[in-house]
Amino acid sequence: MLKVRISYFNLLRFLIVFFAVLTVLVPFCYLFLNSIKLERDFRTIPPKLIPSEITFEYYREAFSKSGKISNYLMNSVLVTSAVVLISVFIGSLAAYSLSRFRKVYRFFSLIVYVILLVRFYPKVVMIIPYFILMKNLMLLDRLLAVIIAHVSIGMPFVVWLMIGFFDEIPKELEESGMIDGCGPWKRFIKIILPVTLPGIATAAIMTAILSWNEFLIASSVVSVNAKTLPILISGYISDKGINWGPMSAVSSVVILPMFLFALFTQKYLVRGLTFGAVKG
Amino acid sequence: MLLKKNWQEKRTLFTFLLPAILILLVSQAYPILYSLSISFRQWALAESLKPKGFVGFNNYIKAFKDPIFLNAIRISFVFCIVATSFEIILGFIIAYFTVGENFFLRLSRTILILPMVIAPVANGTIWRMMLNSQSGLINQLLRFIGIQGPNWLGAPGSALFSVIAIDIWQWTPFAMVVFLAGFSIIPNELYDAAKVDGAGRLKTLRYIIIPYIIPIGFIVLLFRLVDTLLVIDAIYTTTFGGPGFSTNVITLFIYWQALRYFNISYASATSWILSIFTLLIALSLMRFQKRVQTKMWGA
Repeated sequence: MLKVRISYFNLLRFLIVFFAVLTVLVPFCYLFLNSIKLERDFRTIPPKLIPSEITFEYYREAFSKSGKISNYLMNSVLVTSAVVLISVFIGSLAAYSLSRFRKVYRFFSLIVYVILLVRFYPKVVMIIPYFILMKNLMLLDRLLAVIIAHVSIGMPFVVWLMIGFFDEIPKELEESGMIDGCGPWKRFIKIILPVTLPGIATAAIMTAILSWNEFLIASSVVSVNAKTLPILISGYISDKGINWGPMSAVSSVVILPMFLFALFTQKYLVRGLTFGAVKG
Repeated sequence: MLLKKNWQEKRTLFTFLLPAILILLVSQAYPILYSLSISFRQWALAESLKPKGFVGFNNYIKAFKDPIFLNAIRISFVFCIVATSFEIILGFIIAYFTVGENFFLRLSRTILILPMVIAPVANGTIWRMMLNSQSGLINQLLRFIGIQGPNWLGAPGSALFSVIAIDIWQWTPFAMVVFLAGFSIIPNELYDAAKVDGAGRLKTLRYIIIPYIIPIGFIVLLFRLVDTLLVIDAIYTTTFGGPGFSTNVITLFIYWQALRYFNISYASATSWILSIFTLLIALSLMRFQKRVQTKMWGA
């Protein structure tokens, strides 16, 4: 009796998980197939699902001089790296400081709370003032404008995430450093950072995803030269005709690095996504 | 405490904090306050390059008389409530069935996370192709079983439904991941006790897992309610608010006003209405969540 019930459960489990996985994978496969399909396969009625011949034409075209994707790819890489470095560095310093301060002064808990709110207000509020600010600073269409925007969203997240990690450090560890005569800087780098490396990794991954994918604010301060990849993709939208090949190729290029991220850093990724939601 | 008397320590810790505060002041506080001040003035770029005089609450009053804005509120609400409910329910079900440590379950979990890490803009382009009325995969499959599928994104009746489905596809994994983390903190003693009492799977689910997981559900609710209210990228790349105004959510309304019509002050006022509203939801849900959590899990 029991055996029958368990296998029913496993059958149901198999069906549900299988169906969910299929729902996730099919659109991705479809995108990839479209990016290696010949133009004529789109035009047949009904269109061919499986390419009659494999072509890497769209990728080649995108990476050619006229396609300019190399420039935008470079922009995205530069922005993302800068944003990760700055956010993680400044953010964890601030988180360390806040974690120490708020144990003594309640006022600093308020700062933490305000920083948390950055996560919850509409970024669309920022686009106009941000545009004007960058215009006045003569930074329109410069990578620096995008970097500042992304740091201002990413860094609060790092603070929020890292405070949890710093809070867990036992007081004794800190005190032993003090007794050895280490100043705060030395203690932070030699003692605190090594213990919180998993936290740093999580913060870096989350900031990278955020910056690589962000579209709204970047699109409002960028016109020609400083475009990042998501803005390039959105540009294909205005085209009315079927332009699926190139669009799929560029989308695949944008998606791939994040896929690799998700596959190889899953442990940290999950921790970053659920942090603040579920401790531990 | 150690910190209280140690002035040098305090000074250094303060310098640790300073750069972050400066960045937040320049790149968050300043733009936000600036947009607040513009929202009380008259400024359309078509009329002048600089903000004109103070008009009090006129922009706000105008918003609540603007049928397109009111319609945007309604659409945002539908989007937010339908998408969030589906994401929570589906996320819970999928999480429940993917708990476990064998190879296939772990592999499935890895795959199921993928939609969440891709750019919402790319998500939009994928589904534009999937849902294309002529050559999209969905309609090709439907034709295969003899159904003529609708023009998903192009018809007012189905467009909202479609963009909601796209959001569900991308963000159900978030609910799943958070619920999975929640399952992992259910104390083993509870399962043991259930076993001793002879509870089967359904009873364990009903009396152990669901009550314990409710506070986690509220966290998912908080994040998804706010994020679906603020959704823009995926709609921008699929329907751009159309056809007509059928998918014109509040964020897109603001985007149009700001970057297409250049009604700067009006866009600022409407974005402040949205901000206040989302912050109210976020703050009250945070408080409520805390209360539920203390009640369910103890202090």
